[in-house]
Amino acid sequence: MLKQYPTLRYILQRGGWYFLTFLVAVTINFFLPRLGANNPVDIIMGKSASGLSAENARIKEESYLKEFGLVKVDKGEIVRNAEGKPVKASGLEQFANYIKMCFKGDLGTSFQKYPKKVLDVIAEAVPWTIALQLPTILFGWIIGNVLGALAAYRRGVFDRVFFPVALLISSFPFFVFGMLLVYYFAVVLNWFPAMGGYAQEIIPSFSFEFLRSAAYYYVLPFFSIFLILAGGQAIGMRSMGIYELGTDYIKYAKWLGLKESKIIAYLFRNAMLPQLTGLALSLGTMISGALITEMIFSYPGLGMAILTAIQNNDYPMIQGCTLLITISVLIANFTVDILIGFLDPRVKAGLQIGKGN
Amino acid sequence: MKILKNLLKSPMFVTGLVLFLATIILALIGPYVHTITMERVGPQYAPPAAQYLLGTDDLGRDYVSLLIRGLRSSLYVGFLAGIIATTVGTLLGIYGGFKGGWIDDLINMITNLFIVIPSFVILILISSSLKDGRSLTLIGLIIGMTTWTWSARAVRAQSAALKSKDHISLAKINGDGTLAVIVKHILPYLASYVFMVFILQVASGILSEAAISMIGLGPLDTVSLGTILNQAKNNGALGDGVWWAFIPSTVIITVIVFALYLINTSAEGAFNPRLRK
Amino acid sequence: MSVFEVQNLSLHYLTRFGQKIHAVTDVSFTMEKGEILGIAGESGCGKSTLVNGLMGLFIPPLYPTSGDVRVGGESLMNRSPKDIRENVLCRKVSMIPQGAFNALNPTCKVKDIAADVIAAHMKEVDKKHIYSRLRERFDLFGMNTDKVLNSHPIQLTAGERQRSVIGISTLLNPQMVIADEPTSALDVTTQKVVIKMIFDLLEKGIFSTMIFITHELPLLRHVADNIAIMYAGEFVEVGTTEQIVFDPRHPYTKALMGAMLSAEPGQKQKKPTAIEGAPPNLANPIEGCRFAERCPVAKPECRKNKQDIRMVAGRQVRCEYAE
Repeated sequence: MLKQYPTLRYILQRGGWYFLTFLVAVTINFFLPRLGANNPVDIIMGKSASGLSAENARIKEESYLKEFGLVKVDKGEIVRNAEGKPVKASGLEQFANYIKMCFKGDLGTSFQKYPKKVLDVIAEAVPWTIALQLPTILFGWIIGNVLGALAAYRRGVFDRVFFPVALLISSFPFFVFGMLLVYYFAVVLNWFPAMGGYAQEIIPSFSFEFLRSAAYYYVLPFFSIFLILAGGQAIGMRSMGIYELGTDYIKYAKWLGLKESKIIAYLFRNAMLPQLTGLALSLGTMISGALITEMIFSYPGLGMAILTAIQNNDYPMIQGCTLLITISVLIANFTVDILIGFLDPRVKAGLQIGKGN
Repeated sequence: MKILKNLLKSPMFVTGLVLFLATIILALIGPYVHTITMERVGPQYAPPAAQYLLGTDDLGRDYVSLLIRGLRSSLYVGFLAGIIATTVGTLLGIYGGFKGGWIDDLINMITNLFIVIPSFVILILISSSLKDGRSLTLIGLIIGMTTWTWSARAVRAQSAALKSKDHISLAKINGDGTLAVIVKHILPYLASYVFMVFILQVASGILSEAAISMIGLGPLDTVSLGTILNQAKNNGALGDGVWWAFIPSTVIITVIVFALYLINTSAEGAFNPRLRK
Repeated sequence: MSVFEVQNLSLHYLTRFGQKIHAVTDVSFTMEKGEILGIAGESGCGKSTLVNGLMGLFIPPLYPTSGDVRVGGESLMNRSPKDIRENVLCRKVSMIPQGAFNALNPTCKVKDIAADVIAAHMKEVDKKHIYSRLRERFDLFGMNTDKVLNSHPIQLTAGERQRSVIGISTLLNPQMVIADEPTSALDVTTQKVVIKMIFDLLEKGIFSTMIFITHELPLLRHVADNIAIMYAGEFVEVGTTEQIVFDPRHPYTKALMGAMLSAEPGQKQKKPTAIEGAPPNLANPIEGCRFAERCPVAKPECRKNKQDIRMVAGRQVRCEYAE
């Protein structure tokens, strides 16, 4: 089937695979928290009601119970037993309710910011995270790979200095590097602000003043993620490049008298493909690392949202954020996979890349 | 042996080894050289002085004591997670790569699934639901159980490549069982490879613990380098310029990871001659 | 005038410890238009190093020690890498590589690799012109030209890839072609296809002079006019194919012939004999004969006396006792 459209077949295949992964991720997101003693049912029963009058507490608790699918619901009303208490739903029913909610795009209501919806809180944070992480990961990847390829091709002094430095930089945990940058450039030198995404006296809008302030606050978080990412990519690209330099097609290209720039282009294009696969695999780690960096800078993105949620035991928020992170990692992975399919003829021909040669 | 000799000639390897051994020695003999105390010994955030060489924390505790404790915890978590991730990953990887067929497909599918679901997310989900019983060992176990996929993937590729080698076919023709072939013929060839995987897994275990502690989901039963950083951040040490609250622990984490990366990279060069030069 | 002249060519590698490895020593030969010279020797005898020297391609750590290589009277020594790349490679001397199976960049289409070759050697290039020229040339090879040119290497059969490589190497009608083990590691059928194609191109006049390097002596019998035998970086015997195959004079050539399995009738009872020992270390070659260690008829003074090429029975031999 679809034999004559290898590209389409490849995209559908990958898409199907990621949908399956998504289902598994949703399942994990549901079941893992329920394994512990401190499970969300108890949290909801206990915590949500504190500080309210008996009647209000009951109303709030029941609305949560209903929202999280923890009780049986019939025609929009909670099913009650003889004493008027809600009837608890079975684990399987809870799971079915949860899946239904996920597909409706409803992630529940935040405990801490009641009655704000989780999705609304996340929607405020996501643009900041995307604005910070997308360009950083993209630039870090590109610049790291270009430098790594150059180090592999030129070797010599450049490589001897460049390689240990890149290795050292890539050994820093993202957030540790962020802390050092904050300390030196924000606290000691006072060149850049230490925390936040924009000056507090400005109200976010699309004014020039706001954008300028945001750009100023952007510098330190950008570099703390960018440098470590680029360093790690450069190391990987360098060893791939050295490997590719010894291959037959590079030797042949030299014998054919191709221009040096052409040979580097050949080298880069081939060494880049395993690097892209590597990117697909490590996106989860990168995004997580960047999220922690956001916490260091109290950047108003998703990282802060999770941190606040964790500190306040805001269960619906935690679950909503983890699900969202997983989904974005899956989407990013899918995009990279499709890109690889377009760039590497071997993938479409049904072979696994990184083997052979 | 020859490889070891070559390795000892590599300045990168020697540097890495010396740095790593130094941190281990510090962790081992630290408590004998310096009296470890978790009691208040001075005022809050006292700067380094003769009686507390690296100053005190927000509770007036001695940072040298905290750091030695933290270093021991981090190494413990790193090795625990590294051993679990490497063992599970290597066994599944070798078995799948060697056996092939549906077992391989299944292992491969599970590996690929869990490689894309961020282990950070799983760590958050588990840790946040285990509010009271979060011990260092438990965190090490969880990290190990979420990162084995990397080892499995790497080892599987190697063992699948080995499978078609002549001496292995010969052993199979001679009637050796799967287990015998794996133990006698595959493991020895993969030993160097598994060693490198282990080194990287230890590094990633240390980093993961620091990350999870940093967001406030760290161990509750002891001090780790990550919890020291978390505490420093929560108390605003960063903005107040209390450098001794976070610089020593960042340096220690980075030195361990850098040392492990150096060892791994130079070992890779020794096993794969093309990278040498 | 000879098409190709090599005079006393010596080449060395420089290790990172500053040590010189003398990979090729004192190689001399000349070739006339239309001649096919076979070079044979064990793996590691310096054949592939020699190839780089013959193209004037000195990529560190390979350096010329002394001697000269001339193509059509023009020397390749002491020229800039850029000059060699633009004016010599592919145009004057071209190479058909060993293991052509992986020689094509896996991420490029065949036509793009070929176009890169033309672009690298011509000042003004017109894309349309390039492709029509490519099509014309590839039509000679008896393949589905459009399919081959528009395919990535992975989509081609082994035979198609081999022929594409030969097609690309000979695209600019080089004066000299050097084929370095073009058939090693191929199955017999594909070997035949490759040899046949090379001869087709010779017949069609796309190139006329060729050096054919191999470790399989029997193959040379059917291909070469003359054969040079190489050992530890030196030519030890150079003569016509007839002379080398049926009447070898140097002890090494004799041993090499003895080590070959032969399918010739009447030779069935002859068992192949292995040559004992290993070639010498070329970091510090001995002054005397390099084969002395393994030579069945060596005399004590062989290790001390420097051996020069001398004429024995109408061919060159590097052995003072050969007769």
